[in-house]
Amino acid sequence: MQSSQGAQPVTTNSLIHDVRNPLNRISMQAEMVKLVLENDMPKEKAIAALDKILVACQDSSAALQKLAEHSRSDAES
Amino acid sequence: MSQILLVDDDKEFTDVASNIIEFLGHDVEIANNLEEAYNCIEFQRFDHILLDFMLPDGSALHLIDKLNTQDKVPFVTLITGHPSVKSIISGMCGPNVNYLVKPLQREDLELVLSGKRKAVKKAKSSSITKHFGCLVGESAPMQELYEMIDRVGKTNANVMLMGESGVGKEVVAHAIHTASDVEGPLVATNCGALSRELIGSELFGHEKGSFTGAVGRKIGVFEQAQQGTLFLDEITEMPLEMQPNLLRVLESKRVTRVGAVKDTPVDCRVISATNRTVEEIAQSKVLREDIYFRLAVFPITIPPLRERLADIPLLATAFIEQLNAENDTNFAWQNEQLDQLKAYGWPGNIRELRHAIHRAFIMSDPKGTEVTLPKNFESPFAKNQTSTNQVTAGQTIDDVEKELIRVTLEKVEGNKTLAAEMLGISTKTLYNRLNAWENQAQG
Repeated sequence: MQSSQGAQPVTTNSLIHDVRNPLNRISMQAEMVKLVLENDMPKEKAIAALDKILVACQDSSAALQKLAEHSRSDAES
Repeated sequence: MSQILLVDDDKEFTDVASNIIEFLGHDVEIANNLEEAYNCIEFQRFDHILLDFMLPDGSALHLIDKLNTQDKVPFVTLITGHPSVKSIISGMCGPNVNYLVKPLQREDLELVLSGKRKAVKKAKSSSITKHFGCLVGESAPMQELYEMIDRVGKTNANVMLMGESGVGKEVVAHAIHTASDVEGPLVATNCGALSRELIGSELFGHEKGSFTGAVGRKIGVFEQAQQGTLFLDEITEMPLEMQPNLLRVLESKRVTRVGAVKDTPVDCRVISATNRTVEEIAQSKVLREDIYFRLAVFPITIPPLRERLADIPLLATAFIEQLNAENDTNFAWQNEQLDQLKAYGWPGNIRELRHAIHRAFIMSDPKGTEVTLPKNFESPFAKNQTSTNQVTAGQTIDDVEKELIRVTLEKVEGNKTLAAEMLGISTKTLYNRLNAWENQAQG
């Protein structure tokens, strides 16, 4: 299996890294929503951040699926 | 303000993090790989670099090597998904480098950029529920208050908040604003703090040159609160001669800036507040009747702290948790201390409780966990208030009895045996009375 960056071999660590990145985006976008609400900023900003959180949740799920498949193939080999 | 370089290959993360860092008051440059970072440090000096450990064209350590050749080495915070990186860093990078572990929070960024050089300890999550994001308390009077806030939040009715000094009228105004589905901001002004000359300009704004000293146009608070909430504190301190102008704005929903020819439409909910009772307002004639009915479409009386003693432990815990978070301490209350807090009458309400806890916090050993409470909470202001307590016609026997027990308990610093002796009742009767009131307060 190859990682999304092409040349590097896929390892459990790199797959975990791929899960952490969307989690990091979710965390920062949630902080953005808090900032908007706490400071009465335009609600469109909060909605855009929430949309990105939803996308990042899907990304996390896909990355976890890859991690699960990797673990399964490791166990079989 | 610091110059920050943010290096990370995740563009969405750099976008949102740079917005947050700018909000924290810093200037940010973004680099999405090592090459861009090299370019940045060649042409610009940075105070702090936030650096992803794994980049597509190399490791963060390459950039740190390059930085070490500069005259003034900026502080570096490595952003990593692996806590194990800490041991590598401490061995290789020296004292000017620390780390943050993903997923990041705003507090993490705030702490590293404010110059705290140790790894960030995550704040403990609070066990206290904050209703509408700001109100603490689960007693029956507070549940009633939450219901009123929830109901009035869904309307655009003007609200008048009444309650003694220190009960948290501005906090309740925030809660109503939060409960309202409005786009505009909450704008607060204190009618008692404005001079007669300036109050018109503060409320309604003025045009350039409309009076001596009006060097530019000023937008008044009514316009600032457009589509939002205007909080007028100490409304009963507003000069009577200004009240007709306020009435006109409330009725017509149009405001005319001082010195302007045309009026401007305004659309905001007005929440006003006073520490006078309705009877006092009517008797003292500090507020015109027509204004009262415009402002108090939905009057809310906020209960004094002595009527919700059951909330004192929650409030005390919320305050101490906040002080712990701000000062990196670990204070906690003992049950006896919470009982001591509950035994006092708090004539200055939540403001006085908060002040007493803050003072006790300062007096306590920061290395320990126990707060040193004073034996006596009485403040000179409290004494004035309690010494003027008099029985008045119309009070119920239950109210008078409650007040007498409260004052006696205050006098003997919460010692129930002594209080019972002074009152000429058994300790058991005193406990029964106190328990009954507590149960009443809890609903």
